[in-house]
Amino acid sequence: MNQQQLNSKLEEIKDKLIDIEQKAENRIFLLCEAENACAVNKFLFEDVPLRFVIATGIDSDDCFEVLYHYAYDPTGCVVTVKTFIRDRQNPSIESIAPFLPAAEWIEREMHDLLGIDFKNHPDMRRLILSDDWPEGVYPMRKDAPKPKERPDGQPSRRPTVQSQSPAQRTVRLSKPIVAVGPFHPLQEEMEFFQLTVDGEIVTDIDMRISYNHRGIEKISESLQFDQVPLLVSRICGICSASHPLAYVNAVEEIAGVTPPDRAQYVRTIIAELERIHSHMLWVGLAGHFIGYDTVFMWAWRYREPVLDLLEEITGNRNNYGNVKVGGCREDIPDELIPRILKDLDLIEKKTEMLTKAVLDDPIIHARLKGVGTLTKEDAIKYAVAGPTARGSGVAIDVRADEPYAAYADLDWKVISQPEGDVFAKAVVRLLETLESVKIIRQALKKLPKGPIDMEVKEIPPGEGCGRAEAPRGETFHYVRSDGGNRPTRHKARAPSYVNVPSFRASCIGQHIADVTITLAAVDPCYSCTERLAVVDGHSNIVHDYEALLKLSREKTARLKKEIGAPELKMEDL
Amino acid sequence: MSWKIWSLKKSVWVFHVNTGACNNCDIEVVDLLTPKFDVERFGIKLVGSPRHADALLVTGGVTAQAAPRLREIYRQTPKPCIVFCIGACACDKGIFTTGYHMVGPVDKIIKEIDPNAIIAYVPGCPPKPEAMISGVVKALSAL
Repeated sequence: MNQQQLNSKLEEIKDKLIDIEQKAENRIFLLCEAENACAVNKFLFEDVPLRFVIATGIDSDDCFEVLYHYAYDPTGCVVTVKTFIRDRQNPSIESIAPFLPAAEWIEREMHDLLGIDFKNHPDMRRLILSDDWPEGVYPMRKDAPKPKERPDGQPSRRPTVQSQSPAQRTVRLSKPIVAVGPFHPLQEEMEFFQLTVDGEIVTDIDMRISYNHRGIEKISESLQFDQVPLLVSRICGICSASHPLAYVNAVEEIAGVTPPDRAQYVRTIIAELERIHSHMLWVGLAGHFIGYDTVFMWAWRYREPVLDLLEEITGNRNNYGNVKVGGCREDIPDELIPRILKDLDLIEKKTEMLTKAVLDDPIIHARLKGVGTLTKEDAIKYAVAGPTARGSGVAIDVRADEPYAAYADLDWKVISQPEGDVFAKAVVRLLETLESVKIIRQALKKLPKGPIDMEVKEIPPGEGCGRAEAPRGETFHYVRSDGGNRPTRHKARAPSYVNVPSFRASCIGQHIADVTITLAAVDPCYSCTERLAVVDGHSNIVHDYEALLKLSREKTARLKKEIGAPELKMEDL
Repeated sequence: MSWKIWSLKKSVWVFHVNTGACNNCDIEVVDLLTPKFDVERFGIKLVGSPRHADALLVTGGVTAQAAPRLREIYRQTPKPCIVFCIGACACDKGIFTTGYHMVGPVDKIIKEIDPNAIIAYVPGCPPKPEAMISGVVKALSAL
């Protein structure tokens, strides 16, 4: 289906809409009233069909707006359904989560932050605000009180996760549960998972986020357009090139400017260096989880030259702060190019070695194949992104679907694997690292001369959507400007936001020993696989994280014995 | 120097606490363990439970949901212990100062329950691994 066919398909639902606006070449806005929103969304998701990206709740002056963003990947088009909720006193709208599980979290979030009521939502528990945040205080509303210590009011008693909820903390749990998180000894962020288990098998999974909620979208409204990239690069330290890139794509779309060619190439190179170090980081951690600490040490060792290069170019090992509206802040000096090429050779050699070690190792096959499978149907239903989707046979990649920066000029391919298990995701990441090396080599070769920056004086009123492919998947930013020097609304969606809920599809039915690696397989920004405390319902034995990691490693050792494979030796690496 | 402090200074075992950081300080903390920096040479080891720890490496500006958990972890850590505030956010909430969900910084939360806590600061966004090692060395020699 090409763009014209998509447009004529959208005409079919015209009687339910107020208007159809085309704001840019690839941006279609469908305007409708709140009562028609559910029907329009159902049509877009099931009949067209489009991929759900995220929804944005906005407190406008006279009404609430809910924007549902969809992507049509074959043409890179973003279709946005803009609905108006006119009743400011009791804002409510029909939920789309019953047929679109990917929208479940964002509707809960909008309820927490804006107080919009979603009718028929299957699970309206608190998601993003802390347990003791009072009911009826909605921080994203324009009339919200100025941030201070804590808003007045009684702490909420609304249930969150069964074993963590203030309302139900004293209730005896009916089934044995495994509490995962919120703190874990190895690294990364907080998140709480509650696994319901029957013996060794996981039968249900529940999640609690909020530990890391910093209110970035609200802070962004108080910063100037040029300051926001520095903020959004701190959404996630490992995606600190992708978030600013998606944001500037959105702002440049509003302003109607195209940055100079050299800036586009520099952006590409930084983004790909970031992808290499992020994928290497993941390979190392995945090795650690299944008991191959050698892989952990080697992968992280060969990640270091990438960080050194990034430091050389941008001045910081992480949080590069290099992207700005209209260009870049730091150029790639010509004298650095030979060193980059030399380091790339080393990285390529070592990644090939790691890929070979993974593809040839019978134990890794036995340990990862058929584990944590996310089927293609589930991948579409949960609207997952990035290597998680590509590992399930959904070959979407923003770099190819809607080329930004310099990707359109370069020759590379989208890696995808049909199986959907952890092994497929590992293969996708390893092969992508090699593609990234290829992209950087070409970009350095073609690097045009010229300025890296242009002056963007003002951002006119308007709205724009920007996308970029982060190492974990598509980052999506929606920015609205009223012609002033700050965004009036800025919505950021990180890829983990859609990848993490897919645990419900991939973890259930797995052994507990496989859960650590299954949770880690989507490379969640808050991979909370540590500090597990297992309460076994029959014997009341409490295991901790160490015991679970041991379980996972014992399984590897057992398989190793059964297969009779040789030990992984240092000289193989 | 009491024997408790004397023994604290040898082979510091650390527990890593993320209270709402952006992951950058966290990956740099893990980086300390990998071949390039390898702090295990000095007996510095990341442990899985605060009950085994001599020091807490705290990152992030403490969100409302994380604050009670941070207090609980501090209570569980055997005293005397050193609290390292790693990164600009942990030191002073950094770029997230105006966020509605931030209740930190770390020293404020810790001092609410223990006014005499030993707190060391390693600023930076994120601090380089070298800076973290230097921070640990300086804090230990100041004890």
